[in-house]
Amino acid sequence: MRRAPWLATTVLSVALASSATASAMTLKLVEVITSPERTETLRGIVKSFEDANPDVHVEIISLPWGPSFEKFATMVAAGDTPDVVEMPDTWLALYVNNGALESLEPYLKSWVHTAELNQRTLQLARVIRNTAYMLPYGFYLRALYYNKKLFAAAGIGAAPKTLDEFVATSKKISALPGKYGYCLRGGAGGVNAWMMFGALGSGSDTFFRSDGTSTFTDPGWIKGFSALADLYKSGLAPKDSVNWGYNDIVAGFYSGTCAMIDNDPDALIAISERMKPDEYGVSPWIKGAGGKSFPTIGYGGWSMFANSKHKDAAWKLIATLDGVPGNLAWNRRIGALPIYAAAATDPMYADTKFKGWFDELADPNVVPMIMPMDLRAWALFASSVVPRSSQSVLLGQLTVPEMAQQWAQIMTKAKQSQK
Amino acid sequence: MSATGRRLLRLAEPYFYSAPVLLLIVGVMLIPLSVGLSYAFRDIQLLDPFSGGFVGLDHFRELAADASFSAALRHTLVWTIVTVALQFILGLVLALLLNREFPGRRLTQALVFLPWAVPTFLVGLDWAWLFNPVVGPLPSWLFALHVTRDANNLLSDPATALIGPIVAAVWWGIPFFAITALAALQSIPRDLYEAAAIDGAGVFKQFRSITLPLLAPTIIITILLRTVWVANFADLIVVMTNGGPADSSQTVASYVFTAAFRRLDFGYASAIAAVLLLLLFAYGLAILSLRRRLLHRYS
Amino acid sequence: MMRSALYWASHYLLLALYVLFALFPLFWLVKVALTPNELLYSEGIRLWPSRISAEHFRFVLAHSDFPLYFRNSLIVSSATAVIVALVSGACGYGLSRFVFRGKSLLVALLLITQMFPLVMLVAPMFRLLAPLGLTNSLTGLVIVYTAFNAPFATFLMQSFFDGIPRELEEAAMIDGATRFGAFLHILLPLTLPGIAATGGFVFTAAWSELLFALMLISSAQASTFPVGLLSFVSKFSVDFGQMMAAGVLALIPACLFFLFIQRYLVRGLTAGAVKG
Repeated sequence: MRRAPWLATTVLSVALASSATASAMTLKLVEVITSPERTETLRGIVKSFEDANPDVHVEIISLPWGPSFEKFATMVAAGDTPDVVEMPDTWLALYVNNGALESLEPYLKSWVHTAELNQRTLQLARVIRNTAYMLPYGFYLRALYYNKKLFAAAGIGAAPKTLDEFVATSKKISALPGKYGYCLRGGAGGVNAWMMFGALGSGSDTFFRSDGTSTFTDPGWIKGFSALADLYKSGLAPKDSVNWGYNDIVAGFYSGTCAMIDNDPDALIAISERMKPDEYGVSPWIKGAGGKSFPTIGYGGWSMFANSKHKDAAWKLIATLDGVPGNLAWNRRIGALPIYAAAATDPMYADTKFKGWFDELADPNVVPMIMPMDLRAWALFASSVVPRSSQSVLLGQLTVPEMAQQWAQIMTKAKQSQK
Repeated sequence: MSATGRRLLRLAEPYFYSAPVLLLIVGVMLIPLSVGLSYAFRDIQLLDPFSGGFVGLDHFRELAADASFSAALRHTLVWTIVTVALQFILGLVLALLLNREFPGRRLTQALVFLPWAVPTFLVGLDWAWLFNPVVGPLPSWLFALHVTRDANNLLSDPATALIGPIVAAVWWGIPFFAITALAALQSIPRDLYEAAAIDGAGVFKQFRSITLPLLAPTIIITILLRTVWVANFADLIVVMTNGGPADSSQTVASYVFTAAFRRLDFGYASAIAAVLLLLLFAYGLAILSLRRRLLHRYS
Repeated sequence: MMRSALYWASHYLLLALYVLFALFPLFWLVKVALTPNELLYSEGIRLWPSRISAEHFRFVLAHSDFPLYFRNSLIVSSATAVIVALVSGACGYGLSRFVFRGKSLLVALLLITQMFPLVMLVAPMFRLLAPLGLTNSLTGLVIVYTAFNAPFATFLMQSFFDGIPRELEEAAMIDGATRFGAFLHILLPLTLPGIAATGGFVFTAAWSELLFALMLISSAQASTFPVGLLSFVSKFSVDFGQMMAAGVLALIPACLFFLFIQRYLVRGLTAGAVKG
């Protein structure tokens, strides 16, 4: 019963497609972090796949990015599942734990390009159950974007390298009328900054002690969380920013309201469109206790549904999407860091604006931090618990230790229930 | 046709009129609604193939102790009452103003009804811009008029966050009340007023003894429907504040959304929705009996 | 004389204030749509940018799928408005003019459908419609929107019928008219404003519905305009100018529809019309 609609549409589209080509098979591909230009690039790569495999037709479904999580979950729950889906890192645990995804290990074993992937690609692919349920197409590593014009106006020469310098810089910039040091992300997606500041205070990115209890209540993490809360409370971030999400901080940055954001390389797309190359710079994320820095690393990739009827064809599609030419075209469009060891020398990444990230990757004191996305409860924690309680802290309704206590309780429970 | 046949036909007549709507409602809405309501008593985690067991009243027990829920209930009360009251009063005044003949009336009427034509998603976005100190004029104007203490975004202050969506909802919803009231005003036969005028009744007396009683059935049913609808309406809040900051503008409707699509806990979401349904149903019964009493008094 | 002048002065003042309130946010939409991207923030709070450009409108009309979305929305909204006006008109008439067994139950059922958050209906509705091939189809959307709007439109129509004194019809029926004849010649002309208003509400409700248009439809071919608006928000940037331009363009059909029903809304009903 649950499968009937899926079958019906497949049969229908097969029937439609077979009138065009002699024999046909239809693969359904869902794109979730959609933008118009990106969809066009995807169509181009898929076209090359269809040209090489004339008996396969690929139906691309591009979900609007904002509500894509709700939309895709509803589709899957109703049995309307695709063969291949774009999988953001934060969704992976949910779909793997519910048995929706196919392990890619058998395919990776015999794939010619597996050996050319950089080491991080396979590590991140196997974050859950040490099995590759997705093949990443690229990485997002946080770095510090700064506005050179505002820095010059405040008499600052270089980007801050440590937390103390960061606070001092923010103070100087906030002294300019109507300007602020930091574009804080208090609303959706603010979790990365809280974790990065917490780890700065702690000097470590260890989320759990050996007994499975959360480290959030350790003095180090609390010190880090407090540093971020104090930035807002002492007026170094716009008052408005308590509600800001991704698009708001990026707009706040390129409009010159605030001088610094922590962000991923893909923000370059919007920023380079609206700021001249000499108006901003990207520098490695700041360092804290013990001289270490912990920018979060995120990734997206392609996954295969376990109930796909055409698994071999679906793998071929993934292999085309993540093949050397496909992946390069894709990352050129979406601005993620490459999965192939050799691609780091591609002219795209030679551009000075990517230097900040390659400096980070080369620095042994910069530890790309993987948030505990393997926990089933993480997605809810990140999307609901963190904004609500951290906003309470920023607004002075809750203290940092109280917040840390709440977070630790949820994390400990999540970790222990998943043992 | 035999007399009994005709009698049967007479008896069946009202059912013919209501059959299409009834079929549609049962088929398209009541079946999914019963399914959705049944989730309240089951453990339904979206995407989890092993969930679905019967849990009795567990969700409701959890709900009784849920502080977020009681806060959301309070916000819903404020949001609904203030929004509907302002929409209604301003809408009625507008309808009365437009019910008089004056030069430029058609143009005015076309203009003031425009807000209703804007999709709610765009309404939320537009007002969020107007309240934003960087791209909107309102903060500096309010500050200059000494309405606010600073030129900040009222959406980011927990004490005032709910005002933003309320203003947007009022702006968007006034035309609805105005049009309904105007249509009802227009269908009051003019000769009733003429007769009253001949009998020597003044304007105010005419309003009280003709306009109000004939308008009352429409007004009451409109208020009832709008209250129910506004209480369930989360679009503007989700777009403008997303329930924040720190849940200060979270209503029951937006809380249902959070429970369903953030927690993916459809069972719990459905239990919240069921409580809202119960409260609104009680309210609806009260309003309908009030309407019936009014109709009896005037007819 | 004095009192009348005072009345009209306050009449116009109140109307002017309201027109200002109603139009200012729309003016802001147009302003943002006409502002070039590079001035969007730097001249954010100016009432009019130092330079305007039609680039956003050009992009929406020539390079996006919006003409298709408009077409889909127009089909869905018009079909829904017409069907709802018919079925709800009939049902409202039945509720207003007859006493029958099960009437209270019908009213209760209609009311209940309005009281449950629609979010909770998405998943069951998807499962119901998918086997019938009604997801990803405009027909499916029309059916769903008709069901959503029918209860509210029924109550509205009923209240319009209730507002018309029963004596008018009864008099005509005593004069030898059939019930249908009385309906056609007496009730219908009197309720035309009501029918027009109901049609207008349903049209705009369907025109701006987002949740079900988003959840039930996946292919761009069958997407409606509000879902199209969402496509301007991507993770990389939000094209506010283009989004507002699309929004302004979307107001045009709705405005035309309002102008069309306007005739019925303001129709002054003369005393002669009700004498039958």
